Amino acid sequence: MGSLKLFVKAVRKAKTIADERTVIRKESAAIRTSFRDPNLDQTTRRVDISKLLYLYILGEKTHFGQVECLKLLVLPRFADKRLGYLAAMLLLDENQEVLTLLTNSLDNDMKHHNKFIAALALNCLGNLASPELARDLYANVEEILKLSNSVYLKKRACVVAAKLTEKEPDLGDVFAPMIPTLLEDKSPLILSGTCHMIQAVYNYCPSFQPDMVKLIPKLIAHFKRIISTGYLPDYDVNGVTDPFLKVTLLTTLRTLAVNANCTADDQEQLNDILTQVVSNHDSGKNAAHAVLYECVKTIFAVNSDQSLRVLGVNILGKFLPIKDNNTRYVALEMLLTVIDHEPLAVQRNRATIISCLADGDISIRRRALELAFAIINEQNIRVLLREILSFLGSCPDVELKPYITSQLTICAAKYAPNEKWHFDTLTRMLKLSDNHVTPDILSSILALIMRCQDAELKKHVISNLVQAGLEDPAQYGLALVTVWSVGEYADLILGSNIEIDGQPVAVDENLLLHLFDLFSNNPNYSEQESTQILLYMLTAALKLSAKMHTASAIEQLRAFINLKSTDNNLEVQTRALEYKQLFMQHESSKQGLLARMPAPPIKEREGLSLQGKAKVAPPSASTSHSTTEDLLNLLDDDVPSQPQSATQQNNNDLLSDIFGGLSTKDTKNTNTMPATQDLSSNGIEGFKNSHLRVAFIPKQFGNGEATADVEITAVDHGVSIDRVQILIAVPKSQKLTITTTSGSDSLVTSNVIRQSLKVVGAAGSKLKLRVKLKYNANQSEHTDQFDFAKFTSTL
Amino acid sequence: MAIQYLLILNRQGKTRLAKWFTGSYNEEERQGLIEDVHRLVSTRDLKDQSNFVEFHEGKLVYRRYAGLYFVMLIDFVDNELSVLESMHFLVEILDSYFDNVCELDLVFNFHKLYMIVDEIFLGGEPHQMLKKQVLRRLEYIDSISL
Repeated sequence: MGSLKLFVKAVRKAKTIADERTVIRKESAAIRTSFRDPNLDQTTRRVDISKLLYLYILGEKTHFGQVECLKLLVLPRFADKRLGYLAAMLLLDENQEVLTLLTNSLDNDMKHHNKFIAALALNCLGNLASPELARDLYANVEEILKLSNSVYLKKRACVVAAKLTEKEPDLGDVFAPMIPTLLEDKSPLILSGTCHMIQAVYNYCPSFQPDMVKLIPKLIAHFKRIISTGYLPDYDVNGVTDPFLKVTLLTTLRTLAVNANCTADDQEQLNDILTQVVSNHDSGKNAAHAVLYECVKTIFAVNSDQSLRVLGVNILGKFLPIKDNNTRYVALEMLLTVIDHEPLAVQRNRATIISCLADGDISIRRRALELAFAIINEQNIRVLLREILSFLGSCPDVELKPYITSQLTICAAKYAPNEKWHFDTLTRMLKLSDNHVTPDILSSILALIMRCQDAELKKHVISNLVQAGLEDPAQYGLALVTVWSVGEYADLILGSNIEIDGQPVAVDENLLLHLFDLFSNNPNYSEQESTQILLYMLTAALKLSAKMHTASAIEQLRAFINLKSTDNNLEVQTRALEYKQLFMQHESSKQGLLARMPAPPIKEREGLSLQGKAKVAPPSASTSHSTTEDLLNLLDDDVPSQPQSATQQNNNDLLSDIFGGLSTKDTKNTNTMPATQDLSSNGIEGFKNSHLRVAFIPKQFGNGEATADVEITAVDHGVSIDRVQILIAVPKSQKLTITTTSGSDSLVTSNVIRQSLKVVGAAGSKLKLRVKLKYNANQSEHTDQFDFAKFTSTL
Repeated sequence: MAIQYLLILNRQGKTRLAKWFTGSYNEEERQGLIEDVHRLVSTRDLKDQSNFVEFHEGKLVYRRYAGLYFVMLIDFVDNELSVLESMHFLVEILDSYFDNVCELDLVFNFHKLYMIVDEIFLGGEPHQMLKKQVLRRLEYIDSISL
């Protein structure tokens, strides 16, 4: 076996992975053999261990060397100890049994007169601190902290003490009382270590929190001293004196100052020092930014006064135009978290935030975008949405687009200065959004159009849509909205003028049919999108047949529907065939059928967040629903105005959602009750098939609470029914508990299964249940589902 | 503030240093993490992207120095800028110690690399930020290691 260097070289020389494996395997085997030699001399062992470490770095198995490295570190030579401890730190971790073998060596070495050896042991303990080691060896650390006069050891001991306290919080009893003395030391290194101790004790030993909070004045005094000492070449990092210590001090102060025991005086002192630090550090270099950033974090974490908070936001504002990506990144991130505290101050940085939308870094763009939406209000919505729309048009990040469209719809609905602007904005959004608009956004836009009372405005909107659709027929969302609107409101715009490429063009029936042509044969759509548009167009074509008057146009519509009645897609074909029938109906019956849709209610949409933190708080929806008879709130995400297919699908999804979400909980509660007596004759029948009958017996209603019993009985006693499971869902605004019972879930052994329900909700609301029934009849599984709303009383 | 781990990887993803300050991963998870980190960091743009990226339960702070990625995982509450500065400090020390450090220096002297890291970081906290002092200590330690 050669030296470590030769081994490393051999590994590097290997041309293929297979070669490398061979070299590694050979060496690994050789090391194992060598370890087995009882007369292994120290030099060889050292070489072996160093090779073993190289294997470790390569990701190889090294467990066989664990004991060998312990043997190495007991040797007296520094070189051996160094390698031994290094190996121990790498090859062992705090979860391993072997660690106990280390205790003795650590104990001895921490007492070693050579501070470098003691430091090795301290390092090792700090890295491998297991609760056992912590309990066994805390006394050594304590001794170093008390007696050693070496800064080199003491600062390490501070950090190690912090680590041990984290692992074994009882040690707070030992270390917490030492902190005040340690704080007397003026050495920056020990101060920094002590800060770590304070944080560990504060976070892990709640009983010492009041004591730690009392240290605030001392920490502030230290901080003042550090700021006033000025330039120290040794501690200088890019023109900032010891930024690391400052950051540590700030973090520690922040940890302590949020405690309720922090006095007003301390707060004031802290505010003072923060102001000083902020004014003492000019932005420019990363080190200075780190300190300033920590200040801002502290300002918003502790209860600082308003002027300071504004100052904090201004610092962040100054960060935004800085060229360094990192600084911009943290500034935006921080602004996002402080917007709730100081909305106005954040507002003032609008221009810089917007300019970050053009940043090269997607994470910066994303944060800027989120921030831009967060600062929108009535006053600035015009400016901001203009910027956001132009960003939407140029934005290279496909994954941001759905977020933009959805947030934009919400903001526009919330802050639109007038209806016309609102519609124009939405139209512009549709023009730019490709297919990144979700169906619910489309349907809410359609709902808005339907609700629009102003005929002139409606005409303006539809004309705009048609114009936009003619200009760019490849925009999926736009196409859907346009097709639908034309079908519904073609009569409003027929005969008016729109402008295309600066030329006025009269809107006539041919133009609209041309528009449909553009949509139906557009190669830009995916298959799914084409089908969706086709379905919309069929409906629109049918509706248009009642609105158009020229024979040729009507003939074209008929031809279109006819053509689709042989379409490959089943749904399209079915629809076309149905419409074909309708098309042939007499004019008078068609008029009624094809009348305009009634305007649906507008749904509140919840704001999204790109980072999982709720930023836009939606107004609570529950208030508006409590008194209405809203058919199960559960279904309130229905797309109100779309062709049937979409609605249908949505319903199904929701159902599975309801049951997917609830079933586990309900199943647990769904036990059954032995039949004591036959009560099935009374109650309201909710469901009956050839096997089972389910009846509801109302018990107590009123005061926002309702109780009822459910009884399941067998219809045909010749069929053996067992494993009956009943799952019940109520609207979101109500809460259901299914209670009791004991007994079996079989109708073979008993003749009734009884459950009692308790529903809590807003007083006066109706009780509606959706029930899913699962059971085995003669060994085969059945599932049934029904809705039940026959309770006459309300909650 | 605590660094969970410090990795030095080359552009091909070979580990040059892996220092784990927490015992919460087993050996297999560690190898998996190293691969994930490399995949994430190596695809990021050098010029246009910041040196921070969210990863698992924290943030990676990374920087590429020539052919080597220096990567640290920190908590969300930690100060990214300060951690980045401490990373740069480590690189400066390496550069002085090895006199214009290059990847090969780290390959052949990996045990020294670990020692240097231990001089600067302890249990995930930077504890010694004086360049001159660190270099003096290292020199001394080398002199008694013969």
